[in-house]
Amino acid sequence: MNERVAVVGYKQTKHTIDSPVARERMVYELVKSLYHDMGITKDDIDTFVLASNDFTDGRTISEVFTVPRIGAYMKDETKVEADGLNAALYAYMRILTGLYNTALVIGFSMAGSEFRVPLTQSYTMDPAYERPRGIINFYSTAALQAGAYMKKYKFTDEDLAQLTLKNIRNANNNPFAARKDPGASVEKILGSRPLYLPLREAHVSTYADGACAVVLSSKKTAKKFTDKPVWIDGVGHFMDTYYVGDRDLLAMEHLTAAAKKAYKMAGIKNPKKEIDLAEIHTNFASEEPVLTEALGLFKPGSGKDVVKSGASAITGTLPVNPSGGPLGANPVNATGLIRLAEASAQLRKEAGQNQIKGAKTAVVHAQDGPGAQLNTVFIVRR
Amino acid sequence: MGRNVAIISVGYNGRFISKRPDINIPELIQPAVNNALGKTKLKPEHIDAYVVGNMHTFEGVNQPHLWASDHFNGSGKPVMRIATGGTTGASVYQAAYYHVASGMYDVVMAIGWEKQDEGDSQVGLMGILLPEAFSLFHFGPDTSSDRGIAGLGGGGSTGGAAFQAMSYLTRANAGIEHIDRVAALMRSNAAKNPYAHLQQPGCTEADIAGTPIISYPLRFGHTCPTSCGAIAMILVSEEKAKKFGLTDRVAWVKGLGSGTSDATTGNLIEGQITDPAEQQICKITAKKVYSMAGIKDPRKDIQVAEVYSGFSHQDLMWPERLGLFEEGMAPKILDKGGYAIDGELPINPSGGVTSTNAIGASAMVRVGEAALQVMGLAEGGHQVKRKIENAVAHGWGGLFQFVTITVLGKTPVKK
Amino acid sequence: MPGDIVRASVPITFTYKNRVGHALEQYLNGFKEKKILGVKCPACKRVYVPPRTVCSSCHKPIDTMVEVGQTGVLKHFTIAHVNIVNGEILDAQQPYIIGLIKLTGASSLVSAIVKAPSQGTIKTGMKVKAVWKETAQGDYGDLTYFEPA
Repeated sequence: MNERVAVVGYKQTKHTIDSPVARERMVYELVKSLYHDMGITKDDIDTFVLASNDFTDGRTISEVFTVPRIGAYMKDETKVEADGLNAALYAYMRILTGLYNTALVIGFSMAGSEFRVPLTQSYTMDPAYERPRGIINFYSTAALQAGAYMKKYKFTDEDLAQLTLKNIRNANNNPFAARKDPGASVEKILGSRPLYLPLREAHVSTYADGACAVVLSSKKTAKKFTDKPVWIDGVGHFMDTYYVGDRDLLAMEHLTAAAKKAYKMAGIKNPKKEIDLAEIHTNFASEEPVLTEALGLFKPGSGKDVVKSGASAITGTLPVNPSGGPLGANPVNATGLIRLAEASAQLRKEAGQNQIKGAKTAVVHAQDGPGAQLNTVFIVRR
Repeated sequence: MGRNVAIISVGYNGRFISKRPDINIPELIQPAVNNALGKTKLKPEHIDAYVVGNMHTFEGVNQPHLWASDHFNGSGKPVMRIATGGTTGASVYQAAYYHVASGMYDVVMAIGWEKQDEGDSQVGLMGILLPEAFSLFHFGPDTSSDRGIAGLGGGGSTGGAAFQAMSYLTRANAGIEHIDRVAALMRSNAAKNPYAHLQQPGCTEADIAGTPIISYPLRFGHTCPTSCGAIAMILVSEEKAKKFGLTDRVAWVKGLGSGTSDATTGNLIEGQITDPAEQQICKITAKKVYSMAGIKDPRKDIQVAEVYSGFSHQDLMWPERLGLFEEGMAPKILDKGGYAIDGELPINPSGGVTSTNAIGASAMVRVGEAALQVMGLAEGGHQVKRKIENAVAHGWGGLFQFVTITVLGKTPVKK
Repeated sequence: MPGDIVRASVPITFTYKNRVGHALEQYLNGFKEKKILGVKCPACKRVYVPPRTVCSSCHKPIDTMVEVGQTGVLKHFTIAHVNIVNGEILDAQQPYIIGLIKLTGASSLVSAIVKAPSQGTIKTGMKVKAVWKETAQGDYGDLTYFEPA
């Protein structure tokens, strides 16, 4: 058995809404340069875990063409069909058993140019009830949740615009983000195309072509790869029920359960104090207060205060998505894994302009399904 | 090497069949889950986590576990979705194993399913090579056949398999009659398995030989059906197995592995292109798995095998690549009756994939059937009578490039 | 060379014949008589709309259909300015309201379009009632929308 597992290497592509290279090449170049940066070869990797999805790839068993590109040829390999953070979770379990010491985890998609994300999302809605009715989708579910939060906690459209702006500005300083909007303003966000109010186009994450790769290692071998390991000290993943009308849109108890499990593993008693930053997977800006509160990072209903006080800004008491988060780039399947890479960058002091001073412990989050039905949480430490 | 893990229960939704128009996808999964639970004293609240999977393009529902969450009791629980093509079911089971072996969870349910009457599986398979298939459309292949368009050459479809079958026969110095013979054996084995789809009691070589050639040497009778069905298995840690008082009738996971090679019909090894019947990755993975399981000589130490054969020639090829027979020996052993349920090394007493193929379930059914053989619980006359110490289960997927292997046994590997 | 990739558009349509299943079949049959059916868990007494074959709370198979009220309370809503059609976000002709409604006798909320002579009058907490097509056919479209009761 291995006791502890660390992120010992990470790399993401420069995400774009129209990649100049095809998917297989994008994946190949990313992994090759990660191996090069780390001074390793594919032979240093014991097991490979991919995250992709046949619907987003537009190809049945799409990994048949990507697996050889990551160096898994004649090796042990498998695939999670969910966000990449779940692939990292699986790789983490594989290493814990002691059967493997190192794993490459990769998530990717061409969400910017090759498929319409709302179409793959509509294939996620069930074909027996929601799809034929056509009113409940990822967007309207998020809008119902946003509306419920805003009404209950007097969180205004201006507050939501401020929160969105915080993320866009963070993304402006993130070299990997696809969305660059130096002229962004509250007024522009408030005036952007209405979709499902209170949700507007400016609140939606930026679907992008991109990939993220992470190398995990057991404690035993970590030193061989880096003197800056980022330890995975807690993990948790839980699923909510499917129908939007069955859920408590604000409490998100299953996310709280996932977070509690992860905090307990990591020995964290007071996340508000002990967590230095959060990288969370929001498909819409309006999810940020709901998700961070369910994660126990802020008091329930405190979204307005958090925005006003700047607590979640890079300079705040508990920065949320200093990278800009998925508002900066959402290459579906890679998005949650990118959160792990961004948190690792922060803890290793490699986050450039968006670096938070003295960050030691981070919470990382990923979601799948309409209205964040399935949530995954990691606690990472330097 | 991780904690010891045991399979304590294997449940099906019922007999695998062609069409279930009366129910939807979650309603297909639910009975398998309840069946697996019902064979134990466990209740849904005892399950710590779920690992699930299918090939979702076949049904046209992206990540259907989200919709089905209540039906397998996954709401409010950890759930992970795994999908790896033909190997999906085994990959799901392997992930469930790691959930337990890692110490993260004590009791985990693995679920695999396919409801193939919801869509067109041949289109789903063809989607592996969608752009290539599109170009084939330009060249106008015959798609008018009522057998679908599997001959186009897509992943796992008959085109590629025929190359593999031809190569295998040449290498083994065998003939099409051997494929007919093994196909007939599988269909008659299936008749002894109450859950199998195509059950043909006393199916003969002549029955199979009477079916039309699809792509030489493969006949219609050598291919698998498209089935609807679901399987659920419960995996527990050694401590829990003891606590539940379940150490007698369990199957211990002794070794497992999932290998991958290249997306070609053959494999490229050291710059040499080999043929699709070579299956280097199967040999590499088998060696690794046997070593983990403490198996020195698979020919002696393994008493039954469940191999994944979408096409009947593979029932000859895979046992050889798994090291159960010497290369080229399978047809001879088949002729001597070695394959039969009461034979020297029974291969697919369940009737195998050529009798039943609900794709996302199939590779897990191999593991489940191997487990039932070890536990002595295979129903309807397909239980092997000889003492079984170890069983091997196998799966393949993608463009003949993914392989999953697991060894189950009566006694756990000593730690 | 990077930057010179060629994309092929693949004009293949996948056709699926998805089954609505056992529970929803009964729900739609109820529509023929302009009834809204839920399924009741005998153990915890929760009533779920739309019906399904399992209780998400007790994990028991459930199959007892009960009729729920045609009126309810609007709990949450969003003003939709778009429709998502084939993955494209298209402007709607008119903004419309999607609400989550707690029907009398139901434990879960049901989603539906809510209409009022003046959209500004729609508020959470208001009572709404079902409006049916004149001739119901056992189709989701039979229950056209909810309006203030």
